[in-house]
Amino acid sequence: MTHIPRIGIGGPVGSGKSMLIERLVPVLAEIGYSISIISNDVISKEDADRIRNNLSTKKGLLPENMVIGLATGGCPHTAVREDPSMNLAIIEEMEDNHPELDLIIIESGGDNITTTFSPILADYFIYIIDVAGGDKYPRKGGLGITNCDLLVINKIDLAELVGANLEIMRTDAEKLRKEKPFEFINCKTDQGIKKIAEHIIHDLLLDSQPKSIHLEKNKI
Amino acid sequence: MNTDEINEELAVMQLSDSFFPTGLYSTSNGLEFLFSKNEIKGIEDIKKMIRVNIEQQIGPSDCVALENALENAEKKNFEEIIQADEMAFIMKPIKEIRKASTNSGIQLIKCVSEFVKNNDILNEYEKAIKEKKVHGIFPVAFAICCHALQIRKEKSLTMLLYGFTVSVIGAALRLGLIQHLEGQRILHEVKPIIIQTLKQNSNKSLSDMWQFAPQFDIIQMSHEKMDSKMFIT
Repeated sequence: MTHIPRIGIGGPVGSGKSMLIERLVPVLAEIGYSISIISNDVISKEDADRIRNNLSTKKGLLPENMVIGLATGGCPHTAVREDPSMNLAIIEEMEDNHPELDLIIIESGGDNITTTFSPILADYFIYIIDVAGGDKYPRKGGLGITNCDLLVINKIDLAELVGANLEIMRTDAEKLRKEKPFEFINCKTDQGIKKIAEHIIHDLLLDSQPKSIHLEKNKI
Repeated sequence: MNTDEINEELAVMQLSDSFFPTGLYSTSNGLEFLFSKNEIKGIEDIKKMIRVNIEQQIGPSDCVALENALENAEKKNFEEIIQADEMAFIMKPIKEIRKASTNSGIQLIKCVSEFVKNNDILNEYEKAIKEKKVHGIFPVAFAICCHALQIRKEKSLTMLLYGFTVSVIGAALRLGLIQHLEGQRILHEVKPIIIQTLKQNSNKSLSDMWQFAPQFDIIQMSHEKMDSKMFIT
């Protein structure tokens, strides 16, 4: 069975997990990466439906059956950490039936700052917060903020409106995460999205070409 | 207790602990749909739902499949295990339930294979799943794991019914239908139903398997169509 690289995206409710996926996928798809998305919904399939509608139905960036919603029984972080068996069951099916995929994105249900992904489930972990939660957020720490491979701070356009100081967030993130990266973004305007894509391509995909391009070259 | 008995008890605790990763926390077995329609209101309704499921579905189908698979695992009769897997699979007419059951069963086998390396039947069943010769349906996968961990038939069957009961009560708690102490009360009050079901369904052959709870089948089908849901089933 082929192992397809997997990214876990976690973060509090409303921080922009689904929006980050909606903005990232077009950038990665344009390069030629073939992607599937599993959305761990807490109480509805709204996130999966919205992502499917925006990325598959409207933009045709991936087939509709490549966006899958998974109910987590009200236990969003159990489903990605202590007992990821239901997510793994879907991923194994994907790996079996769609070896052409370059990347699987697993969106965690909205949860708190202790969310982390089991390394068995995700090879790369992005944790997203937003400035509306206050500039204290990075300083508070928590497993998600400290342990993730990439910390993303979203909605920076709102900083002034909510009285959040981005410099404080930067200093605290540097202090807490030491050498590990973090990025400021604004999903609404795509600001910083390319940088996130670059992190993924470099750190997770190890700068490898999309499988479709590789196959095409081999044909020639 | 001798060492073997202690080992068996520890294996029972390990497999029936909610800490054991089978994904059952994500299933409500139709309770969520009943709750959304305001058709289930408290302890008595939940007990009734558990009783109907155990007496009309899990007892006469899953328990019989488990018992047969376990006995045939001991006899190393793999063809009969394949038969039990097939029968348990077709006894689940609702797609959502079938899928959740096979997903949990396959993950259960993977998990136990991680720490039991030298059991022929477990290895053969895992290989058969990969080769798509068996479905990996939960009660049969559970039987294979119980065999690998040397858990006896009676305890294995009790664990299956206990696990189901706990998953429904857990769902009821998370839906806010009951409170934590009430959950334990239900678990205690369901014990005679579990005992009775075990007595009624022991020593049956695969051809004796049945299940009949059409109202719950319809509830499960309705759950599949729900727009907003916390649970897989």
